[in-house]
Amino acid sequence: MAEVIHRSAKPLQVNPFKLSQPMGAALAFFGVDRCMPLMHGGQGCTSFTKVFFTRHFCEPIAIQTTAVTDITAILDGGDVGITEAVHNLCRKVTPSLIGLHTTGLSETKGDDIRGIAGMIEAPLVYVNTPDYEGGFASGWALATRAMIEQLVTPQTQLNDNRVVLLPHASLRPIEVEKIKEFIAAFGFNVLALPDLSTSLDGYLGEKQSALSGGGISLEEIRGLAAAGLVISVGASMRSCAAALQAKNRLLRHQHFDHLQGLFATDRLVELLLTEAGLTRPPAAVERWRSRLQDVMLDGHFTLGQCRFLLTGEPDQLAGLAAALHEVGGKLNVAIATVDSPQLEKLPVARVLVGDLEDAENSAADFDVMISNGHAEALAHRRQKGLLLRGLPNWEQLGDQLKNDILYEGGCYFLLEAVNTALKTEKSPAEPERSENR
Amino acid sequence: MAQKPKIKDLLNERACRHNTTRKSACNAPIPGATTGGCAFEGAQISLFPFADAAHLVHGPITCLGSSWETRASRTGWPGIDLTQVGLTTDLSTRDVIFGAEEKLAAALDTTIERYRPQAVFVYSTCVTALIGEDIDLACRHASAHHAIPCVPVHAPGFVGSKNLGSRLAGEAVLQHLIGTAEPEDISPFAINLIGEYNVTGDMWQYTPLLEEAGIRVLATLSGDGRIAAIRTAHRAGLNVLVCAKSLVSLTRKMQAQYGIPWISASFYGRRDTSESLLAIAAALDDAALLQRMKQIVSREEEILEAQLRPWRERFSGLKAVLNTGGNKAWSIAAALQDLGIEVVATAVGKSTESDREKARRYLGAQGVLMDKPGQQQAQIIEESGAQLLLAGGRSLYTAIKQGIAFIDVNQEKKKSYGGYRGLLNLAEDLKVALESPVFRNVGRRAPWQK
Ligand code: SF4
Repeated sequence: MAEVIHRSAKPLQVNPFKLSQPMGAALAFFGVDRCMPLMHGGQGCTSFTKVFFTRHFCEPIAIQTTAVTDITAILDGGDVGITEAVHNLCRKVTPSLIGLHTTGLSETKGDDIRGIAGMIEAPLVYVNTPDYEGGFASGWALATRAMIEQLVTPQTQLNDNRVVLLPHASLRPIEVEKIKEFIAAFGFNVLALPDLSTSLDGYLGEKQSALSGGGISLEEIRGLAAAGLVISVGASMRSCAAALQAKNRLLRHQHFDHLQGLFATDRLVELLLTEAGLTRPPAAVERWRSRLQDVMLDGHFTLGQCRFLLTGEPDQLAGLAAALHEVGGKLNVAIATVDSPQLEKLPVARVLVGDLEDAENSAADFDVMISNGHAEALAHRRQKGLLLRGLPNWEQLGDQLKNDILYEGGCYFLLEAVNTALKTEKSPAEPERSENR
Repeated sequence: MAQKPKIKDLLNERACRHNTTRKSACNAPIPGATTGGCAFEGAQISLFPFADAAHLVHGPITCLGSSWETRASRTGWPGIDLTQVGLTTDLSTRDVIFGAEEKLAAALDTTIERYRPQAVFVYSTCVTALIGEDIDLACRHASAHHAIPCVPVHAPGFVGSKNLGSRLAGEAVLQHLIGTAEPEDISPFAINLIGEYNVTGDMWQYTPLLEEAGIRVLATLSGDGRIAAIRTAHRAGLNVLVCAKSLVSLTRKMQAQYGIPWISASFYGRRDTSESLLAIAAALDDAALLQRMKQIVSREEEILEAQLRPWRERFSGLKAVLNTGGNKAWSIAAALQDLGIEVVATAVGKSTESDREKARRYLGAQGVLMDKPGQQQAQIIEESGAQLLLAGGRSLYTAIKQGIAFIDVNQEKKKSYGGYRGLLNLAEDLKVALESPVFRNVGRRAPWQK
């Protein structure tokens, strides 16, 4: 449908909104209770990551580094640094799990982290996440898959009451919680991996400890294969579902590219009705569906005249585009962080892999952009409407409590889009243009 | 072949005071127990404030992707504020295997053609340093081709701490920029501000006072900085090192190379600001100038005094506990004292010797210097009856449990707390926290806990 440019022709990124693989992996490990992510690389990657997430989530973030130096980069194959790091961090805290993941530096060195992991006694998961490959979403998915492959106990029996949810990297803590509750409302017992809904959701609690709390427990991860159904959300999570199925051949799998908008949610409800053997969903689900129908009708007029530019991870773009497409929003440009087969499916006129400079060069083609906090300056310069979506969002409080998914979140998302579009129409750009005539 | 700075020499920096106690220098991070940023971040802190220069990071996406647009360094540069433009070669696997020097050259061309910067800084990072990318060569070619300075910055993260990275950045500026142009006119009282990054406009709190006395800020490294100005920095009569020990090596070398003396200064709170203004005037060794500065200082102090009086009345009898690291441990303490608040304790766990000394001096014999603030602060608040806790986000819960006001000192500050007027900004912020009912209300027991 779309014109898709899979590779940027530029020799550099200007104003990137792309984030790295090790950062995505670290975030996935935050979704495990008392897990300490251990980034194998120079100390700066970890420090930047910590500051970045602290500012985005407004939560203290616990993460450690193997602090590779120019000397150890050459003399140490990683074994000394990693063992020492594990030893040192375990002296201060007792993590339930250590999430060892690499960076460009340790991968360029060629450290054998699998071999090293085998020598370590503390509970540990290892994963290769060089930052010169993939991006945020693939880092998250690789870490999740590594946890499944290395931790989950194989099963031969089904537990039909249990559903496993594998959410993609761009779903916010509250959205994961909403999906869990939605599924639970049909009578299922749900576990999510990773589960940020109880760890980075902005709750008040005693956080003096140098370990993050909340998230799925190690015990729960070990038992994940004892379920009836696994639901993956986001194309990046398909391989994780496959890894879980490899632990239990009987496990059924259903995949969703996203859970935004009427169509996707309808499909989920259909699935859950069948799985639960019901004919009607819970009353609240019906109510929210009719509210969404109402919002779609109310909003179509404004959205149908509004030209959008979207930026984000491919999975995130899939959801945003679908929700707007259903109401006739004019989707002119989508810019993805990385390439993905997913991009071919987007209902968007022009799709490319790029950066915010590309967005700025498309300024004539859109009124409202949906992008992360780095787009603030651009939106201001070009007098565009801006819906902040994705990391980082340092401009606003409470990003982790925003909900765009299923029937309910669909209402909030469309209304925010409508209101942004309305405000943009009245932007000071208008009178100027008429003056020029 | 451009010579890279000798990292060993920089580490053995004599003027680095806290180096007397730790022979192995200030780097050598411990695996699994390290929290600080890397050398690249230090270089970024020191050079990114040049808003008229492009900052091209040669490395994979983590280095720049997670860190651009994070610094509230203000500038008066009328062109595009290049401090807030993120530029990186974003290495791919292919680049790592086959080398990315051609990509870097193309990136340099693109950057210069599109953004017309006054200079380009090219930063090496861990991966590009490890695979031996020749950024010197790329910079030389681009400089010749485009006729602007292209400066290689050899501060890949893994060589050490932020502190070392700042020094390496200073080294790059000294080697490639300083002394490469002559100023149009030379003021007898020309100074350079080194290590002042003009975060939230801190510098603008005191530079008007310098100008008023007749002192000309010739160049800065690098708050509100200009490339054209830093190239002429060798003609200054004095280097003023603002609260940044990391650049002491630069000022020392400029003294050796160009005979420019240097002094340290700090502009946090009333005492520091006055002392520093007078010290700068005194160092320029001109009786009339010093006299003018004395007048300005006493006038400013008088104005401030009148403005502070109502605040002091309002804050009198208040006690605060301060839990933050580095120079904030004493600088915020001093500011609080200026506002009439008693500082009963401050944290020194991670402070250098000189920060600790200063904290002791400011707090007096009664004050507690906390080595383990996380464990000590709750008890100290209880015993002293402190009504205010200034600390990092992790300590919020302590304040709520005690039902006292809390200020997150690590929050990106929006207003300047520097110079004389900055104190008033701080006072406003304190007032909001102290008057807020939220800390008591939030700590209320839930119905099911009664
Ligand atoms: S440690 Fe190295 S790779 Fe990591 S951010 Fe610093 S320069 Fe980049």
